[in-house]
Amino acid sequence: MPDNDVAAQIPTHRAYLLRVAMLQLRNNEAAEDVVQDTLIAALQGAAGFSGRSSVKTWLTGILKHKIVDAIRRKSREPAFAQLDDECQIEDFDALFDASGHWENPPADWGNPENDLSRQQFFDIMQFCLEKLPPNTARVFMMREVMELDGEEICKELTITSTNLWVILYRARMALRQCLEQHWFADPSRAG
Amino acid sequence: MGPLISCKDASRLISQMQDRSLTPGKRWLVRLHLLFCDACRHFERQLAILREAMLRYRG
Repeated sequence: MPDNDVAAQIPTHRAYLLRVAMLQLRNNEAAEDVVQDTLIAALQGAAGFSGRSSVKTWLTGILKHKIVDAIRRKSREPAFAQLDDECQIEDFDALFDASGHWENPPADWGNPENDLSRQQFFDIMQFCLEKLPPNTARVFMMREVMELDGEEICKELTITSTNLWVILYRARMALRQCLEQHWFADPSRAG
Repeated sequence: MGPLISCKDASRLISQMQDRSLTPGKRWLVRLHLLFCDACRHFERQLAILREAMLRYRG
């Protein structure tokens, strides 16, 4: 079979798929289910894999549909009840002084090419993603990994666009701070 | 509206620019702010790096 190579690669991405699913579903069982559904669908469809994207990107696309389905089915789970807590713009006041200047101004990260080619960087990234509040992580992953646009996310999660901007802002502020602290400001990362 | 916005306001708009196009007026306020603010220029660059990192995270 010509698709043997693809079929053999599919299970090697299982851990990655599970991490992505967990950040969005926050539930072991639900995450495990969507990953299994994704792997089965991929194995069944391996012959149709075009090779135009990487296997990982292709699997991410399948996972996206499975996660959206799962969120639709469970959109009234308790995690969503706390969404409002993550939409408070006042939380950001601590990051700025009274006149609106940065308390800790963002640093120049330089040319990140070297950083982005290292596994350790992505380990720190995973650590930072897992520290995000649950719904903040979910929305950020839907936007940046699943590549849903703002309108789609608002529709799936039944949130307003204002809430969406606040949540994405929160995610980016937290991630940039975490990456700066644990990676870019760490002199031992070089080499 | 005054010509200058704070870093707090600028950073919110810079984040939104990752997801939608701003009105010309708001875009102008951001560009003007960036002209004078190293920290927000770094912030804008960091968000671009963050997006690139997520692209590679996905593979």
